Amino acid sequence: MSEPLVTFRNVKKHFDDFVAVRDMDLDIYPGEFLAIMGSSGCGKTTTLRMLAGLETPTAGQIHIGGELMNNVKPHERDTPLVWQSLALFPFLSARENVEFGLKMRGVAPAERTRRALEWLNRMEIGEFAERNITTLSGGQKQRVALARSLVMEPKMLLLDEPLSALDANLVIRMQAVLTRLQKELGITFVYVTHSQSEAFAMADRVVIMSQGEIAQVGSPKDIYRAPANRFVAEFVGRNNILTGTQVSQDGNGIVVETPSGTFIASAPETARSDGSEVTFVVSADLVSLSVEEPQDRNRVLCTLISEEFVGSMVTLFLESSDGHEFKVQMQERDLIELDLHSGSQIWLSWAVENAHVLDGE
Amino acid sequence: MKRRFDIYAMTWRLPIIFWQFLFFVGPLLFMVAISFFVVKNYRMTEAFEFVNWQKMFSKGYFWDSYWYTIFIAALSSTVAMILAFPASFALAFRASDNLRRWAIFLLIIPFFTSYLVRTFSWYVILAESGVLNAMLGYIGLGPFKMLNTHFGTVVGYLTLTLPLVVILQTVTMANVDKTLIEAARNLGCKPLATIWRVILPLSKTGFIVAALFCFILSFGDFVAPFYLGGSQEPTLPILILDTTKSGQQWPRAAVVAIMMMVTLFTIAFAAIALAYRKGGAK
Repeated sequence: MSEPLVTFRNVKKHFDDFVAVRDMDLDIYPGEFLAIMGSSGCGKTTTLRMLAGLETPTAGQIHIGGELMNNVKPHERDTPLVWQSLALFPFLSARENVEFGLKMRGVAPAERTRRALEWLNRMEIGEFAERNITTLSGGQKQRVALARSLVMEPKMLLLDEPLSALDANLVIRMQAVLTRLQKELGITFVYVTHSQSEAFAMADRVVIMSQGEIAQVGSPKDIYRAPANRFVAEFVGRNNILTGTQVSQDGNGIVVETPSGTFIASAPETARSDGSEVTFVVSADLVSLSVEEPQDRNRVLCTLISEEFVGSMVTLFLESSDGHEFKVQMQERDLIELDLHSGSQIWLSWAVENAHVLDGE
Repeated sequence: MKRRFDIYAMTWRLPIIFWQFLFFVGPLLFMVAISFFVVKNYRMTEAFEFVNWQKMFSKGYFWDSYWYTIFIAALSSTVAMILAFPASFALAFRASDNLRRWAIFLLIIPFFTSYLVRTFSWYVILAESGVLNAMLGYIGLGPFKMLNTHFGTVVGYLTLTLPLVVILQTVTMANVDKTLIEAARNLGCKPLATIWRVILPLSKTGFIVAALFCFILSFGDFVAPFYLGGSQEPTLPILILDTTKSGQQWPRAAVVAIMMMVTLFTIAFAAIALAYRKGGAK
């Protein structure tokens, strides 16, 4: 990859006794769509605010474009932010909101009006240019907020959960708008969210944070298919997670003994010694069901507890004989053929290459 | 739904309606009536003549007093708004929530004591041989004449209005969405510029109400211009007193009082309209 646009080196941020971000090392590359994801209080918003200069790191260095930015004031930076609350100025019209940043930069009135209108038109809200902000709908305000930041022609746009106030249909539409804009402009987007679906749908790379630390950085696919640790495996939703002991390993796979049975995952040999505590992970959508006992080495007989339908997808919740809960995700039409009901006994199985073994419990 | 005459509700409403009519609307109508009465041989007699209105409007001293009162009340309101701002700003944005609560409580304390008493205490400070002149004397300045001047009047008005203005400004600015200030900084606005780019526009309603209160209180105040301003340039409240004293001219005093009310109504109406006006098209 090219030179990073942003580097975090050993960055810490403390608020009195609370450690918001600890020892962060992160590179952000030009033109990428990076999502920072985590639950509330994980430090994702603090990270974004440090990029905007709204917080000063307690220790460590943040460089943007090769320049040390630790003590550069927010108004001296080129890091416009799209706020969760949008933070549009209610006493200004849509056009005046978009012009605000240009005005601060000393752009002449005629020029800034032209550029503001150009962006409002690009965001398909040109007709509302002279309207008072408070009379616009949620989606329209969203577009004004984007235009207000993008009119500054930044190298990097920061977004702090900008879609969290919109209803579900609008979120999908705005996701499309955002990804298209990012590709067209070719600038870096740093997008903070707690929503896995938003992060995975839009980002080139996802940073997962937990308690002020980076838990994993990778493409959505990497994180989804190969979680680096138990936290990520649990955080990214529909995984079956089993605690067990490593029995043996060779070049082809690792055998793990769990209360629900002995399973094998194909994985390269590690330095981990046999007998250590490990976590065995298999994604819910990679588990298959069968009435007949399957040939796979990874199999377990379970009892169906309940079903959850989301659109055409269904998630089954099952229990093994030792009481562990398994989740299986499948298409609804495949489920009908199996003719299951609560209490049915069914075999679960998965291929060795679809399972992972992680360190520790 | 059809509105029913509710006896129960009316029983509770009637006393206040009665009170307002008896002690507010009644006297007001009576005052308007009096302004058409005439005074003959130092006695007020019922009549319906415009002579008092014509007399007052044709007098130079009435208009001098009228414009002076508007001017000095507006000046004092402006000074109060400016003097209060740094304190209010600090309380709204720099102080902790706890400190702000205490400060607002302390600012209410002046209202526990009589305004008249507080005004008199300024005598000691502002007098020719008072505290302030003594202190200025040490650094080789003065003595300055501060009592019985416009300055004295403004000091008196500020005694009345300043705590109230600080409270109103503080409460208004404490409600400003801090994210909007950060958003302005994020878009390249320098720290000081956020005051008039963001904070003042957002505080418009509260600030206009504060200034309006300040103006109304100063405009109708009798104590400050009388005791500290020395009635040098009589304000309208002093003019009312003088008019009633000289030749029992209650009808002409009523004309002045009505003019004051009309003026305050107009200014209050305009101020409130301005305070709630929104930018941009609807």
